[in-house]
Amino acid sequence: MNDIDLVVALFLLGNLIVALLAAARGPTAADRMLMALLFGTTGTGILVLLAQVMNIPALVDVALVLALLAAIGGVAFARRAWQGDGHD
Amino acid sequence: MTDWLSGALLIVGAFFYAAGTLGLLRFPDVYSRLHALAKADNLGLGCVLLGLALQAESLAAGLKLLLIWPLALAASSAVAYAIARRADRLGVKPWRKDAP
Amino acid sequence: MSIAFDLLLALALLWSGGRCLSVDRLDRAIVLFIAFGLLMALAWARLAAPDIGLAEAAIGAGLTGALLLDAYGALKRRKA
Repeated sequence: MNDIDLVVALFLLGNLIVALLAAARGPTAADRMLMALLFGTTGTGILVLLAQVMNIPALVDVALVLALLAAIGGVAFARRAWQGDGHD
Repeated sequence: MTDWLSGALLIVGAFFYAAGTLGLLRFPDVYSRLHALAKADNLGLGCVLLGLALQAESLAAGLKLLLIWPLALAASSAVAYAIARRADRLGVKPWRKDAP
Repeated sequence: MSIAFDLLLALALLWSGGRCLSVDRLDRAIVLFIAFGLLMALAWARLAAPDIGLAEAAIGAGLTGALLLDAYGALKRRKA
């Protein structure tokens, strides 16, 4: 079953890179931050899959930390950094 | 049987991730992009976690995998709420089909 | 299959790192830095070093990103 795990992890990494390429030149500040949010969810998925593929259970803890701290980044953006007319 | 089910769940999860990314790329404004991202991606994560929990060696490992999901759901809904409220406060208009 | 994963990860790391240094706007650089931290955490995971990956995910992608965003907001408020 390890094969399909790795294929799905590879697919998710490709997903992540497409989002990175597209959103790095995104039109508004919020789009770029949405990319960071997507990175949190997709990165959690990739880490959990890697934990299974490489047989390292500790990677699940890394995934947990990532899921938690991506949220902190998003909230810091919304509450502190994003101001102005919304289209800058 | 368990292997097939877990593989199917992983593929469904990958599909929902792809749908979330497609929404991020194609939807017209911040609110709809937020909608695509916060829901589709977390459903994908849920399917992947369930698929992996079926492969786990012990019950504790499987339950730990499944416990990530509520955390991710709570975190992403909090962030989506914060960003959407901020966008509304800053006066970002929702997209409409007739009035661009 | 795993060599493809590693190559893709390395390319994305190099691209996001270089872009983070060369981009001209501060907010884009911060978001690219967060993306770089996350990819770095994935790279540490791939290198079978979950402890360093944990530190990278917590400090690099999470806390430093939030602090940089806060500093950017403070700079903008001062300018306004």
